[in-house]
Amino acid sequence: MLFCIIFITVTTEGERAQRERLRDLAVFERLNGDPRKTSSALAVKKFCRTISLKYAQASDVRPLSVLEDTLNYLLNLLDSSEHPFEVVHDFIFDRTRSIRQDLSMQNIVNDRAIHMYEKMVKFHVVSHHRLRNCGSSTISSLKFLNMEQLTKTLASLYILYEANHSSNSIHENEAEFRSLYVLLHLDSKSQQTESLSFWFCRVPSLVMKSKEMHFARQVLRFYRMGNYRSFLYTVSAQASYLQYCIIEPYVNEVRALAISYINNCCYKLHPYPLEQLSKLLMMKESDVESFCHACGLETLTDGGGNKSLPTKQTTFSIPKGSFQSYSLLALQQEERQIAI
Amino acid sequence: MAYPSMGEAHRRTTDYLNKFSDAVSYQDVASLAHLFSFSFSFSFSSNSPSLLSVADALNFFQDSNRLIKQSDKFSQFGEILAPLFRSLQCYRLGNLVDAYHAFEKFANVFIQEFRNWESAWALEALYVIAYEIRVLAERSPEKLKGAGSFLTKVFGVLAGKGQKRVGALYVTCQLFKIYFKLGTVNLCRSVIRSIETACIFYFEEFPRRDKVTCMYYTGRLEVFNENFPAADHKLSYALTHCNPLREANIRMILKYLIPVKLSLGILPKVWLLEKYSLLEYSNVIQALKRGDLRLLRHALQEHEDQFLRSGVYLVLEKLELQVYQRLVKKIYFIQKQEDPSKAHQLKLEVIVKALKWLEMEVDLDEVECIMTILIYENLVKGYFAHKSKVVVLSKQDPFPELNGKPVNSWRLTL
Repeated sequence: MLFCIIFITVTTEGERAQRERLRDLAVFERLNGDPRKTSSALAVKKFCRTISLKYAQASDVRPLSVLEDTLNYLLNLLDSSEHPFEVVHDFIFDRTRSIRQDLSMQNIVNDRAIHMYEKMVKFHVVSHHRLRNCGSSTISSLKFLNMEQLTKTLASLYILYEANHSSNSIHENEAEFRSLYVLLHLDSKSQQTESLSFWFCRVPSLVMKSKEMHFARQVLRFYRMGNYRSFLYTVSAQASYLQYCIIEPYVNEVRALAISYINNCCYKLHPYPLEQLSKLLMMKESDVESFCHACGLETLTDGGGNKSLPTKQTTFSIPKGSFQSYSLLALQQEERQIAI
Repeated sequence: MAYPSMGEAHRRTTDYLNKFSDAVSYQDVASLAHLFSFSFSFSFSSNSPSLLSVADALNFFQDSNRLIKQSDKFSQFGEILAPLFRSLQCYRLGNLVDAYHAFEKFANVFIQEFRNWESAWALEALYVIAYEIRVLAERSPEKLKGAGSFLTKVFGVLAGKGQKRVGALYVTCQLFKIYFKLGTVNLCRSVIRSIETACIFYFEEFPRRDKVTCMYYTGRLEVFNENFPAADHKLSYALTHCNPLREANIRMILKYLIPVKLSLGILPKVWLLEKYSLLEYSNVIQALKRGDLRLLRHALQEHEDQFLRSGVYLVLEKLELQVYQRLVKKIYFIQKQEDPSKAHQLKLEVIVKALKWLEMEVDLDEVECIMTILIYENLVKGYFAHKSKVVVLSKQDPFPELNGKPVNSWRLTL
């Protein structure tokens, strides 16, 4: 990676010197791995909670083009496999927050700001997805904080969209980013925020009519109705990568409920074939078996090796921790490189 | 704009000042309130152009402060009158933001005086102030948030013990209107918490009009949160206690009560929809009666914008399960007529055919899924035999009525 002169203003000299002295340098900022040394090319301005507009100097705040380049530099670090994802995430989390701080202090609300916010939302969405698969003990607080910033960044993005609306048109990517809000609030009962019903009142009509919003609303309808079949089918057929990152936690929840329904409603003398279940739940048959066991249910194997789920079992329960991740069949599940 | 002569302007202003001080001295709240009822006096339908003419006089005269200071009778109210005059002048000139600012200043001083008055004689005047604050802020929307904060302060002055407390509900209603307009309905929660104790202990003391308005807004909040039994209770209260002559208000209540009732399995009569121009619901109701899923979807699409804007769309969408129940019930009745002994066995194929006839393409898996949901939600009593692809209905009461209880949305009970 070539660092150009632009990066000289990524941090101020003062901040750099202080952080060198205090050894407050992230792994990505260390010169040759030395925790006491950084360079103007590597050091990125940290988020400062107590910053006050009154005392901020013009030289402390980075101009838009520097912020853009800094953001691109940070997001490229997402590909790095040298360090565990939590470490990468934590660094980018903080430094992008500082970027947002600089943007809002300068009251930049144009198209370029929109693109930056969209990229930052994407970062938080992808993190939301990837953090789920990390094993460390600090994960739940990282996940919580990430969700917090995701919602804040998304809210700011919507304000930017609205500020930039010209007559009767919406922004290029607005439909997809608005749809994320719906998907984040599928389970509205658990939210303290306003209900979706109220949110829908104020969404521009063009957004409501978009393909992405239509998808999100369908998914919402299926989820609320408990229609596991259509939920899983529609998600696997139509979700974009970003949308899937948000929906993923609900997928296993819906599968569990499907099994609960089937266990509850089906004829006792007709155990439900796992082959059919695997089709319904869009999971590999072997995964279905372990999933049933995780839900406290036994499975049967007959003479011919065919597996089934006996129904009317009374031991169904949701496992205490979260479910292990099972891929959603028919969905291209490779970690796509998002064009950032 | 009428330009009075100097003498005329002088006369009108003095006249106003006299009215004000007399109203306070004699505790004549009606006359007092009239003196700052901007929206009423300035509307075309008003028969009393006096405020208009006073405003013109002030704008022409430009030296009202001297007049106020001239006599003790007026100068004691100097701090109240100066901003009031300023507001009146700005309002007349169409300068609404400044009119709001000045009015809020006036209101602030007035509240201090109101606090000092032992009795609640000026409560009606305070209502007018609260109303005007809201209406003025609505016309210069960046002031709405400020109006909300101000009215919260007024609420604080009124709440508590004493005769003045009956005014608290009126101010609450103004706050509801502001928060709904602002889109910050989550702030209603804190208002409701503040008024809740009062409502428990002396709800009956409040004027009927305020109780109806309060129940309407809190009922609407329950609709947003899909607490249907609570929404039913509150909106029904509003309906039964609403003045029957106020048809526009009844219509507003029904607009939200109807979807709630539908969710509880209660269908209104068509004449109600006709009488209050709520025909957007007629196809929804037909769909529920007929088990016609296609009609429900069509009705939702046809009035989508309207339903989304009023916030009832998601509620109506949820009626789908009840429509399915009705459809399956009809199939059952038809089968019963043809062959009573086999009626309780519903082949999935038959349901697929029925849906196809409604121009809805669904496969067996989908129908099986729907049937398991219906059974789980107790809309259908029975079980499902996967191998034979048949739903076996219970011989007794296979289609339980909702009976005022909403369909339970499934949630994992942990």
